[in-house]
Amino acid sequence: MMNIWENIRWDIIVDYLPFFLKGALVTIGMSLAGVLFGLALGLLIGIGKMSPIAIARLPFIWYVNFFRGTPLFVQILLIHFGLMPIFMTPVNPIASGVVALSLNSAAYIAEIFRAGIKSIDKGQAEAAHSLGMNKLQVMWYVVLPQAFKRMVPPLGNEFIVLLKDSSLAAVIAAPELLYWGRAAQGEYYRVWEPYLTVALIYLILTLTLTYLLNYLERRLDTE
Amino acid sequence: MISVQNLKKSFGELEVLKDISVEVNPQEVVVVIGPSGSGKSTFLRCLNLMESITDGQVLIEGKDLTDKQTNINEIRTEVGMVFQQFNLFPHKTVLDNITLAMTVVRKWNKREAEEKALKLLEKVGLKEKAQVYPDSLSGGQKQRVAIARALGMEPKIMLFDEPTSALDPEMVGEVLEVMKQLAKEGMTMVVVTHEMGFAREVGDRVIFMDEGYIVEENEPEEIFGNPQNERTKAFLSKVL
Repeated sequence: MMNIWENIRWDIIVDYLPFFLKGALVTIGMSLAGVLFGLALGLLIGIGKMSPIAIARLPFIWYVNFFRGTPLFVQILLIHFGLMPIFMTPVNPIASGVVALSLNSAAYIAEIFRAGIKSIDKGQAEAAHSLGMNKLQVMWYVVLPQAFKRMVPPLGNEFIVLLKDSSLAAVIAAPELLYWGRAAQGEYYRVWEPYLTVALIYLILTLTLTYLLNYLERRLDTE
Repeated sequence: MISVQNLKKSFGELEVLKDISVEVNPQEVVVVIGPSGSGKSTFLRCLNLMESITDGQVLIEGKDLTDKQTNINEIRTEVGMVFQQFNLFPHKTVLDNITLAMTVVRKWNKREAEEKALKLLEKVGLKEKAQVYPDSLSGGQKQRVAIARALGMEPKIMLFDEPTSALDPEMVGEVLEVMKQLAKEGMTMVVVTHEMGFAREVGDRVIFMDEGYIVEENEPEEIFGNPQNERTKAFLSKVL
């Protein structure tokens, strides 16, 4: 076997490093926006899915069914080439990526919210109601703070998945991390240098996220 | 103060309360006893609408709970409830457990609420636990905090739903002691319990329930000393 280190063309990595870093920033930005919109939308969908009226639950159930039951890749293509041109021309691929990630993660986050809220003992809400609190106060002061603590680990998981899945936006030419990896491969016809570098940067991002989430979990635990 | 007329409650096909009528007077301590499944907890939970009422009427200080116009949250501030499982808020300190509804529902300012809460904690003998979280308390301590939390709203009526049933035997006494004190101060109380000693000593009136009906209702001496109904006799012979 040939010596990999002697054959590595470091110049490619050095050449493309500024683009990789710029791409990483876009990756972080897209993921962060996707998480934030996904959280807001996911909360609403989760609450909608818990409606006591069966017919009111239906659209939310099918939202989750669709976005969990079809590949994100397909969703990105549908959104970028089908949905987004209705709203903007030319379509900004970063915007398409953010919309796709938000809509997709909202479906998963809705389920996390729902499971978190359902996991809180009924006695908690009863005690709060018995003190004269209304539904909103019970939710806000008693149920959600406890549910949130239980939602942190699965939400963290979802964020990590989202960060990695944002790489799919490379196919619609959103200039994120993998996009620049593909560009480097196209320019130099080399596989290992660009893709291993890109993989390493993704790993650094997800490990940082893991560390931050563990920290948050510990902070909430000692309370 | 509490007036229940022909109360019926069903869970689906299952009729748990069949025809309950009872009056509770101010400052009275009414103890509800009966075998499990007799409907006594359900009856209690209908008094602050923790359970919806299928048929009949419940009046709390003249306000009809079945009337759609009645603001149930307002009535619940006047009717405190203590649960078998304590149901303290684990994410809040003992003090915050008590002050939460005082500030959020009663809209008292935080300092005022905390002063009152500390007085209540002193009353139940747990002032030094104000800053700890419920997880570090024993069962008896938790239930005393739960009583203090309910009292924080300054209710006119207190409902107790088997408050000592989830406690280790050695902790039952400390909770009953607080309840006795409360009765002595003139609180109107409805207590569902298996503590026959408490019923006899503190109750002004004892209600024996079985299979969704009030079978017998009388002063404790009469119920325990001279029960009239066969089912009361059978139940008491098992628990005494």
